[in-house]
Amino acid sequence: MYSIEFKNVIKRFGKNEVIKGLNLSIRKGERLILLGSSGCGKSTILRMISGLETISSGELYLNGKLANDMDPGDRGIGMVFQNYALFPHMTVEKNIAYGLRIHRIPEKEIADRVKKAVTILNLDGLEQRLPRELSGGQRQRVALARALVKQADFFLLDEPLSNLDAQLRGKARKELVRIHEMYGQTMIYVTHDQIEAMTVGQRIAVINDGRIQMLDTPHEVYRRPANLFVAKFIGSPSMNVFDGQTAAGTMRLNDTALPLTPGWAEKVGTAGAEKLLAGVRPEDITLTAEPEEGAVPVTVQYHEDYGSRVGYYFTINGEEVISIMRDDVLQGCRQAYWKPNPGALHFFDAATERNIGYPEEAAE
Amino acid sequence: MKINSSEIKWHLLFIILVLLLIYPLLFSLSTSFKTMSEAFQSSSLIPADPTFSAYDRVFTTINFVQILSNTFIIAALVTIFKLVTSVFAAYAFVFFHFKGKTALYFLLISTIFIPFTVTMIPNYITLSKVGFVDSIYGVALPQLADATGIFLLRQYMKGIPMSLMEVAELERASHLTRLRTIVVPLIRPAILSIGIIFFINSWNEYVWPAIMIKSEVNYTLSLALQMFVSSEGGTDVPVAMAVATLTMLLPLGLYAVCQKFIIGTFAQSGIKG
Repeated sequence: MYSIEFKNVIKRFGKNEVIKGLNLSIRKGERLILLGSSGCGKSTILRMISGLETISSGELYLNGKLANDMDPGDRGIGMVFQNYALFPHMTVEKNIAYGLRIHRIPEKEIADRVKKAVTILNLDGLEQRLPRELSGGQRQRVALARALVKQADFFLLDEPLSNLDAQLRGKARKELVRIHEMYGQTMIYVTHDQIEAMTVGQRIAVINDGRIQMLDTPHEVYRRPANLFVAKFIGSPSMNVFDGQTAAGTMRLNDTALPLTPGWAEKVGTAGAEKLLAGVRPEDITLTAEPEEGAVPVTVQYHEDYGSRVGYYFTINGEEVISIMRDDVLQGCRQAYWKPNPGALHFFDAATERNIGYPEEAAE
Repeated sequence: MKINSSEIKWHLLFIILVLLLIYPLLFSLSTSFKTMSEAFQSSSLIPADPTFSAYDRVFTTINFVQILSNTFIIAALVTIFKLVTSVFAAYAFVFFHFKGKTALYFLLISTIFIPFTVTMIPNYITLSKVGFVDSIYGVALPQLADATGIFLLRQYMKGIPMSLMEVAELERASHLTRLRTIVVPLIRPAILSIGIIFFINSWNEYVWPAIMIKSEVNYTLSLALQMFVSSEGGTDVPVAMAVATLTMLLPLGLYAVCQKFIIGTFAQSGIKG
């Protein structure tokens, strides 16, 4: 039995269809990330789970029970909002205990649960402060505490870290994972930040235009993207995609014919696509100043030094391509030789934008 | 602190305005301590021979305590009911979703623009049919709900972030609980200052009580004031000014205590919305 199950769920706002036939099964206790750019429908999915948004058609099951018309208060939801939604007129303690008091839980137990959450989230000594007397990170932790003390089955987070600065965000990510492992609720986490998605998620649902583009582990989503959208969305800088002109076991890159491995040659030959697009991540290449066998000569137009890495820009088959090396291997030289790692190629059908798959031998 | 010349111009203008506004208050205060003859002869703001005789006459000619309590009961009833109805109605207009909400709201708001003179006769007739003429409750009854209050409180409630209400919804808090634990505490300053305005308006009301009330036991302060300046009552200026001064005391005191809320409310209403 799944913890949360969407079956052909559609959500319309007026005539505008925001969620287009969603099928999604979420396991009990897992950390699932809904990842997508703003307006893709990820928050709508979260709000449909919570019941704050109704479902236009289809079915939603929570713990096996049909929940389409279930009252939000009966669903067992602990939720963290993007703006934290702390009550400005209540102290930290009153904010955390708000739901417990409404449910008339005995004061003794409220005190115990609040104490536990306050300790876990390092809020000791702040219980009597008002939200406006707290820093951004502390407010975020109060919001987490309020969602946790409920001990609800589902723990929903809507971009919980987006109002924190970069340093705090890194710390908060680890903390979220630690807390989830402690409480073990089913956690649904909405974000547009791929680093958060990769580090917090056990599975990631990449969403675009109201549809799930791919649902898999962070590793698979990065290594074997299901389609062009996922390939370009995940990874920074994003994957280089260019015209993949293949013929007789080779791929033409500018004026060079790069031989494909037998596995790739077979896969590409049987893909049945009229036109292929080839993809390679900026870091899955070798770039040298000296000619190398099977390498494509390129002219570097621009380079960027990130400190830890260096990025080089040039053109392959008419597309701008970026390659990333650990050191400045070219030392100002504009003529270079570029070779994608054979195990790190991706091919997409240009018409459907789907990944054609990988040969057996392709190393992960 | 340096003040530049354009600021000085503004300050001068405001000082003149304040003097113009405060002059009648000082005039009535000083006249109430004058003798009858001095009141007619001198226009000085400082009484030559200060006397409490006007106040003595107030308390001997009219039942001041009765009149004060009449005025207070009407103002308190009107204020409390207007606030309660406004809070509930504004909550419904902001947080409930129902068909015809916008139309209903605009219909309600349009009642603000109906002049009092249009409704006073029908209201009088209605109340006389149910036997409320010459009663302080008759004065209060048609004023227990108010579109202005609904309008102002609705603006404030719209400023409450939706997510706060959603937190409560996820806890299955009833609407009454949401109202009590979230909405009212958050807009308390607005409720207080609107309440004060309601109170002062009712306190100062003249035309409507004049229509409704006949016997002296039911008089309000503004009606009592009129007793001393009308042609029949003779014109006892110091006494009239003494009543006026007494009438001012409570609203002024209220305002002094709560002015920080009132100013805040009207300063904010431009920003929020």
